[in-house]
Amino acid sequence: MAGLLKSFANLQISCKFLHPRVEAITVPSRGRKHLNYWPRKRNPIWLTKQTRVQYNENLTADNARFIKEVVDTKYSNSELSLGIAGSLRTSPLKVEPIEPKAEWQPSYRRTGVIAKKIGIYPLWLKNGKRVFTTLLQVLDNHVVRYIPPEDYKPILFKRKHKNNPRQERLGCLVVGSDSCDPQKFTKEYCGLFTDSGVMPKRVLTRFRVSPEAALAPGTPLVAAHYKPGQIVDIRGKTIDRGFQGVCKRWGFKGGPASHGVTKTHRRPGNIGGGGEKGRVWPGTKMPGHMGNRMRIHKGAKILRINTKYNVLWIHGISIPGETNSFVSIYDTILPLRRLKESPSFPTYLPTADEPLPEELFCDELHPFTEPTIQFSEES
Amino acid sequence: MASVGRILSHDIRQNIQNFKSLFGKDCRWLSSQAIETQAKSSKENADDKRKVDDRENTAPLEFRFKYPEFLPDPNAAYRNSTRERLERMDMMARRAHIDIPTFYVGSILAVTLSDSHAVGKTNRFVGICIERKGCGLRASFRLRNAIDKQGMEVVYNMYDPTIQKVECLRLEKRLDDKLLYLRDCPIEYSTFPFDMEPELIDETAPVRINTLKVPLKPPPWLERWERQDLKGVQEFEVNEKRRRKAEKHKTPWEEFDLMKIYRQTIPMEDQKDIFAEVYSDLHKLEITRRKMARKRKFNRPDKPT
Amino acid sequence: MALCGSKINVMSRGFHTTPVAQEIRKMARLRVVDNSEIGKSAMLEGKPPRCIHVYNKRGVGFLGDKVLLAIKGEKKKAILVGLKQNQSPRIPKFDSNNVVLINDEGTPLGTRIHVPIPHILRTLLQEKTQTKGADYTKLLAIASRYV
Repeated sequence: MAGLLKSFANLQISCKFLHPRVEAITVPSRGRKHLNYWPRKRNPIWLTKQTRVQYNENLTADNARFIKEVVDTKYSNSELSLGIAGSLRTSPLKVEPIEPKAEWQPSYRRTGVIAKKIGIYPLWLKNGKRVFTTLLQVLDNHVVRYIPPEDYKPILFKRKHKNNPRQERLGCLVVGSDSCDPQKFTKEYCGLFTDSGVMPKRVLTRFRVSPEAALAPGTPLVAAHYKPGQIVDIRGKTIDRGFQGVCKRWGFKGGPASHGVTKTHRRPGNIGGGGEKGRVWPGTKMPGHMGNRMRIHKGAKILRINTKYNVLWIHGISIPGETNSFVSIYDTILPLRRLKESPSFPTYLPTADEPLPEELFCDELHPFTEPTIQFSEES
Repeated sequence: MASVGRILSHDIRQNIQNFKSLFGKDCRWLSSQAIETQAKSSKENADDKRKVDDRENTAPLEFRFKYPEFLPDPNAAYRNSTRERLERMDMMARRAHIDIPTFYVGSILAVTLSDSHAVGKTNRFVGICIERKGCGLRASFRLRNAIDKQGMEVVYNMYDPTIQKVECLRLEKRLDDKLLYLRDCPIEYSTFPFDMEPELIDETAPVRINTLKVPLKPPPWLERWERQDLKGVQEFEVNEKRRRKAEKHKTPWEEFDLMKIYRQTIPMEDQKDIFAEVYSDLHKLEITRRKMARKRKFNRPDKPT
Repeated sequence: MALCGSKINVMSRGFHTTPVAQEIRKMARLRVVDNSEIGKSAMLEGKPPRCIHVYNKRGVGFLGDKVLLAIKGEKKKAILVGLKQNQSPRIPKFDSNNVVLINDEGTPLGTRIHVPIPHILRTLLQEKTQTKGADYTKLLAIASRYV
């Protein structure tokens, strides 16, 4: 009997081992996919820390002056701030010249450019109408790196793009803008630019491109990448307005100013119903942090291009960001307003024999160099 | 150092008061004399000083009153040197096609513009300039006139390419930098005939200041005029409450707020750089305008015959 | 005596009488600028008409819009021909809100408009005139002057 009992106990133990058990503690989910927002931005692995702590390097006065001189001659800010096309320094490395390997097709996706929002001013159309335009300067853009589609594995791949063959066919182009003094950056960050042979850039952006539109690292990108009249999308960080109430953040009406109202002038009022669904529904408009988010302004038209200063005049004033902030521009993805004619593919390369005119205008725009608008009596 | 500071602030205060007495409060050109004075006092910056003086010779000081729209918005959040340069290039391109005469608030202007709605496709309006504002291509002025005892105002953008001609019929200044109070004055003070002959302008003489004081109609008014320090208005009476409130809203200390003035003005050095860039073109345009004026002057006696 | 007191009160009323928004809404007082009998007598008597309806979807009248007026106990339609509110560049802004009385067919009741009207009305009224509806362009013929 005792033996039987013992063997039964053994069986129980063996049973215990036969059935694998997960020892990890699981937190019960409350029925939602995720409790918090997804992280807004996750940098790729190769992007290292950009800036370093500035410490005293015990340089002699002569050495410090020498370094300053070298930096001034090489990265002089006066020229860069103008962003003049002639001053664009090409990469000293021997990169094979990019040839348009393939003819442009509507399904191909070109690279975008990084631009600085430099202000807003009015222009006039040929019919005498005034339009406000935002000026975007394509400032010192260079291709830094190309990642072919098979190597492009972002940490955070958008869920809607997962298992989408169209997205998987796209590679990625890293474009940099705004060269700076390399002393300000870490050595690892400066190392990112050895392949392309360009100066360390302050701003880096990834653009998804078709492999046919890939560019060699070190290729300069200029404003003539676009043509006047083209429609583009512009992505940028909106103005940071801090913690704001509902009137400013969501345009609520607020309450009356008088008639016995106390302490309820700019309040949201009711935020939800009672009864069975007696809770605040997700997505209810409430006070909170406003601005400082990436937003895309889609379907903006280019009215005018200055090829000397590399400036694009974009119709409209709702480009995200403050003056002197950076935005990225790319061909629109809006289905009805996508490119219909061949653009400069994969990008515009300045050639000595046929230089572009300094100013390019869209058809309906009145250039200031032309005489006063006269209307004729229609028959 | 403290004594230097006091002297500087004294200088600035006097400058400001001089300017204010002449040109009112809203000036983007009041500017900081402080930096310049400092440069003069220090011997190290001798080279800089010479440069400054050279530039002074090229662009005369009155340019900032003649062409205020070339000075950018002093708010640092809107400033960008490339944008300002492009804007100035566009302004000069437009000025090559249309002669925009020198005028001030209080001058009488005639504007001819192409108007697609009008019968002959052109439209002419005459009126007194009561407001001038905006910088760069946004610069605009507001003309006021009364036709058939009906007061009306039109705003024109200075660099609007539909404007065919701007004539200055009478060049003069008034005591205030904005004449919006003409809306609350009897209608005859803003009535000007459309067939006014342009007066001859002596370019060398200083601009005439019209010291006319206009009476105000009794309230209700469009604005609280008693709160504004108006010089071109006759003495008027308001009730006790409004007078008390006006007294309460006075900010006499702002006159001495150097930081505020600094934020609202473009530094003298920047102004010189800006005008040095456009000076030669503006000067050429001015010379051609003078030639044209002289021609007109000689031609006039022939006209009646 | 009481009447006298109330009169004094009206004279020194405490609220400000400056216009808040110079917009043509319901109950806005307007000025008739044509020489129609009813309009002329209403203006002479110091009883300017009030707007009791604006024929557009916003409820705020703009240049060239049709409004319904309460004038001397009658209802009349009118066209806005000059506004006090700020206008865009090149379009005149007037010191008063001017209207011209019309009937249902768009024919003006008067024979002359004695103040200038803006040029842009020629385009605006032509746009508003439908082939089958009222013809508002008749108003343009009686204008004395355009600005």
